[in-house]
Amino acid sequence: MQIGTSTSLFYDQSLSGMTALSAQADKINTQISSTKRLQNTSDDVVAYQRLQTIARANADDTAYGASITLAQGLLDQADSTLGNVMTQIQQAQQLAVQAGNGTMTDANRADAATQLKTIVNQLVSLANTRDSRGQPLFGAATGDSAVTQAADGSVSFTGTGTPAAIPIADGQSIQATDSAQNVFGVTTAGGQTDVFAIINKLADALNAGGDVSGAIGEATDALNAAVTQISSAQASVGARGARLDLQAAQVKDAATNRETERSALEDTDIPTAVIQLQKTMTILQATQASFTRLSSLSLFDYLK
Amino acid sequence: MSDLMSIGASGVRAYQSALTTVSENIANTGTAGYSRRTTNLSEVSAAIGVNQPPSAPGNGVLVSGISSSADPQRSAAVRSAGSDLAKTESGIQWLSSIDGALTGSQLGDRLTSFFTSAQAVAADPTASAPRATMLENASAVADAFTATGAALDQADTDLDSSANAAVTNLDGLASALARINDGLSRTQSGTSAAAQLGDQRDQILESMSAITDVSVTLDAAGRATVRLGGAGGPALVAGSDAGTVAYSRNDEGGVAFSVHRAGEVSSFTPSGGVLAGVADGAQRIADTRQQVNALASDFTSGVNAVQAQGRDLDGNPGAAMFTTGDSPTDVTMTLHDPNGIAAASAGGGTRDNSNLQALATLRSSGNYETRLTGITADNAATLAQRQTVAGAQATIHDGAVSARDSASGVNLDSEAVDLMRFQQAYSASSRVIQVARETFQSILDIQ
Repeated sequence: MQIGTSTSLFYDQSLSGMTALSAQADKINTQISSTKRLQNTSDDVVAYQRLQTIARANADDTAYGASITLAQGLLDQADSTLGNVMTQIQQAQQLAVQAGNGTMTDANRADAATQLKTIVNQLVSLANTRDSRGQPLFGAATGDSAVTQAADGSVSFTGTGTPAAIPIADGQSIQATDSAQNVFGVTTAGGQTDVFAIINKLADALNAGGDVSGAIGEATDALNAAVTQISSAQASVGARGARLDLQAAQVKDAATNRETERSALEDTDIPTAVIQLQKTMTILQATQASFTRLSSLSLFDYLK
Repeated sequence: MSDLMSIGASGVRAYQSALTTVSENIANTGTAGYSRRTTNLSEVSAAIGVNQPPSAPGNGVLVSGISSSADPQRSAAVRSAGSDLAKTESGIQWLSSIDGALTGSQLGDRLTSFFTSAQAVAADPTASAPRATMLENASAVADAFTATGAALDQADTDLDSSANAAVTNLDGLASALARINDGLSRTQSGTSAAAQLGDQRDQILESMSAITDVSVTLDAAGRATVRLGGAGGPALVAGSDAGTVAYSRNDEGGVAFSVHRAGEVSSFTPSGGVLAGVADGAQRIADTRQQVNALASDFTSGVNAVQAQGRDLDGNPGAAMFTTGDSPTDVTMTLHDPNGIAAASAGGGTRDNSNLQALATLRSSGNYETRLTGITADNAATLAQRQTVAGAQATIHDGAVSARDSASGVNLDSEAVDLMRFQQAYSASSRVIQVARETFQSILDIQ
């Protein structure tokens, strides 16, 4: 012990030195065990602000991710339903062609009319398909079904307006469903009509018998227009599906980038931390050893 | 020759006293505030007279006093460094409280959850589960605002009780110092008692400087006059007269301190110690409170306005979601029916979600989450800076303590040397008495 240092000061200084080293070792140990470099807001304020922004973006993207998955499901369902609708309309086209054949009797045409009525019922059922949310897949903004069939078999659209778009990113939303008006409504030379009315009109003409060539010609043109309409609806659904796939990939990429940044900001670099810990422990042990040696040194031991 | 006996006796007395002082030093090695004492020995000069031969020796040794090795300059340096350190550490305590209040109830995370759960409602406006989730998240935001406000109130209460405790402590120290001053004026200087009182005075002054910056002047007898808030500030202790310190808060959350002494009241502004930290902390808590209040009222009124302009699942205008109490952070939920969330805008129909778009717009224009992060980060930046300063000040304080204790602390090895030296001198003085006796005896033995 050097002369000039007071004895209690020597003990105090040794104690505070060893306490500081223990605290340092404890801090590194916490960083390793929690795998987080930053334990307090004040450890790194800039990193704290970045991490808050990242956490917020992660939460947002989780919500948007769920919306994207939902919208993708809705579009998939719309796509397969539109495929079925297309099959039904093609059957109607086939029946119209057959009914135009000169060898058909009135009785044969009445049979065809019955089949056409069945197709209308099928189409009504397809139009009123429920989506995964329990809502009509082709519903408009209002109404609890897409189309309504009256007792006489005629069909009308239940609601009006465009269904609500689903938000999929900040300031971006997607029209995941189309209203029945958009899918089944057809513009023909004779004006605005719809698939149900076209087929019903043809069936009524076939039931009435007589010369049906005019009605069949008109119906064939209208059904061709309907096929074009459904095809473009399918194409639109496919395009929106592609956009969602892109968006989903983008969300995933952004999440990966954020995770990389978060890890760099916040995670403990284990090798560095372990070496730091080893260094601190070595210094602490050396301090303890030198303290023991110095404190055991006293002139009083030699006074006999 | 006749004085040989008395010279030996004076040596025995003096070295006995010196050994006592060394033993006292050894015994008080671990006593806080003890400064090493030394026995001042001086020669008793020969009587001056015309009859004295020029070769007349002195008359032995005398203990002229006990002196303390306390160093007033170094003690003052320790006080000043301690005052600065206590101010910063006290400031850190309040900044940490604010940090805990802002982050403890996870207000930011809950705001984010509230807004993102609205996205789930937008994706499926008629389903009950997303609506119930959103309502739960809204309730969590209300709780978080209330908890944050309560934590800030608690910090304020803690600050008051801490300041009152410090002031009470200061009053106690002041009256103790006045008694010591009184004791010093009755004690002869250069005595062990005076050194003891001086040590106690220095220790009290050091304790006082941890509470507030003290300006100390010592008179010839060692009595301290203590002024607060700088050399021109009011005197808290003068002679044997001690005053008291009062602490008060104003409506804006600021603090005021005053000294009451001898019928006079004078205010002072502490620039060091716990009290300066309290003044700083009070200001910061008040500022944070104001910012959080503004955030809470902006958020609740914004969400309620969006609710009011929309339509709930039954087609009615949306009812208010939140109400606030006396304080803007006392947020309670008034909407309990999940169907009451106004997802649709007026005339949009039940499956409409465009009013939730208005909520998303409110989120980006209101910037609630960013504002909260900003408040937290500002506070944390100050906290980090204070922690750095505290580290530097602790080093300065340690250096000052080390310098003072090197000068006035007890070193056992040097006491051991002194112990041996005085023991040998004592033995030698005893030997002188023996020689004196034997010499005298040799005269008596003449036959």
